[in-house]
Amino acid sequence: MRKYAARSGRREPEEDETYIPGRQFLSGVVDAVRTLGEQTAFIGNALASTVDAVRRYPGEVLRLIAVLGMGTGALAVIGGTVVIVGFLTLTTGALIAVQGYNTLSNVGIEALTGFLGAFLNVRFIVPATAGVALAATIGAGATAQLGAMRINEEIDALEAMAIRPITYLASTRIVAGVVAVIPIYTIAMLMGFLATRFGTTIVYGQSRGVYDHYFSSFLHPTDLLWSFTEALSMAAAVMAIHTYYGYNATGGPAGVGEAVGRAVRSSITAGVFILLTITLSVYGQSGNFHLSGG
Amino acid sequence: MDTAIGGAGKPVSENPGGSTLSRVEWSKPARAMGDFVVLAGETFAAAFRRPLAWRELIDQIWFVARVSIVPTLVLSIPYTVLIVFTLNIVLIEVGAGDLSGAGAALASITQVGPVVTAIVVSGAGSTAICADLGARTIREEIDAMKVIGINPIQALVVPRVIAATFVALLLYSAVAVVGLTGSYFFVVYVQHVTPGAFIFGMTILTGLPQVIVSLVKALLFGLSAGLIACYKGLSVGGGATGVGNAVNETVVFAFMALFLINILATAFGVKVAP
Repeated sequence: MRKYAARSGRREPEEDETYIPGRQFLSGVVDAVRTLGEQTAFIGNALASTVDAVRRYPGEVLRLIAVLGMGTGALAVIGGTVVIVGFLTLTTGALIAVQGYNTLSNVGIEALTGFLGAFLNVRFIVPATAGVALAATIGAGATAQLGAMRINEEIDALEAMAIRPITYLASTRIVAGVVAVIPIYTIAMLMGFLATRFGTTIVYGQSRGVYDHYFSSFLHPTDLLWSFTEALSMAAAVMAIHTYYGYNATGGPAGVGEAVGRAVRSSITAGVFILLTITLSVYGQSGNFHLSGG
Repeated sequence: MDTAIGGAGKPVSENPGGSTLSRVEWSKPARAMGDFVVLAGETFAAAFRRPLAWRELIDQIWFVARVSIVPTLVLSIPYTVLIVFTLNIVLIEVGAGDLSGAGAALASITQVGPVVTAIVVSGAGSTAICADLGARTIREEIDAMKVIGINPIQALVVPRVIAATFVALLLYSAVAVVGLTGSYFFVVYVQHVTPGAFIFGMTILTGLPQVIVSLVKALLFGLSAGLIACYKGLSVGGGATGVGNAVNETVVFAFMALFLINILATAFGVKVAP
């Protein structure tokens, strides 16, 4: 298990070797490939041990689900992950009301804001926002926790006690993240819907009947299921990436901070590519959209 | 076993500072808010005081730009393509595929541009600033600066906040241009819309006023993300757990502030530039 930690960052540059042009670039490429391989090995190992994690450490998984829902420290004070993710989709849902209503009324079809609320929220806005929000909340929290444990040598202690650290720390977190995201994403979706409806009907004064008619005509349960699939895959990817960076943190307390930053950057990028892949493969050919409402 | 592991995640209790108020649970967020306002005020006051730390400013602009540029380029194309693709499903269904240029321009100039800038500035820029400042705080470099009579606000915070603001402006421009270019290729070569119609449609709904409103948004994003990152970085305490949690809180608070600013600025923008 040490092989994951021992490499990145700790290798001393070899001093007494003859100068070869382009060596720095070459060693950069080699390092990048090696990091990629280590990441793949870690994530593959963590994903493969998820069944083991549930079987051996059910208590730890349950504890993590509770922790992930609430967050730690100052984040728990303002209401935890659920409130933060809900708040973010609340603002993006309101964005549809503001931008959509005004743009559509430019061309005289503001009655269709309800359609935007059902269509854009489900297919794009809420999954994209939730992906970013999950990386910032449960993901960054996991990196901070695991990074601190690595620096405090708690992970080495786990190994000394013959507990498989990747299973106990990473796999349990992936399982807990995927389970915890179901209620979180439900709240996020509802908040997006509520904000669009509130903005359109209360703030801009559209009649509720008009809004609800177009909203329910264009809200397809299939789209909602795909949206949940997107959220679950993003949660799994976010937890896998963030546990990797936390597990391999080096360089003292400062290194933990850097690891959190790097993890957030990678997982936001990974999240949007997952979203793009699923959207294009599900809606790519037909679009699964019928104006007649069927 | 359980306690040994769980202990890493628990918040480290701060020194109460002698006040009875600090023992009340809810006074902590209020106190943090007050500290943040004080830091923001001090930063604005110090920003106009000579000398400005030029070298540090240029270093920081380079630093923030370096950590942000790859996420910006990698995020702006997928986001624009996603929203253009989703809008085009509707437009093609109603037979208005030629108008997709209008949708692409509106989406990438007024929404995707600012939102991706917000995500990158808070997810990449502010985390890097907070981790850097947090490391210095932990190593007691900030205290050392105070002892030798250097004001850390003027020497460290002002350059970082200006750098974050400046880079956010540049990033917005990059996102808008890259996003529009990406959506052009996607719409013309994948969805087979006429290139001329796409270019013509771009200026139907979007013009200079929208660009200016979005630039103002980007400026506000950089400013608030920089301030939040510096505040969290300077108030780090409690070793490795403290730094990790500080960066985590930075990215969460920056997201919340930036998304809130985005919705307020959008509501304001559609009034002044409909």
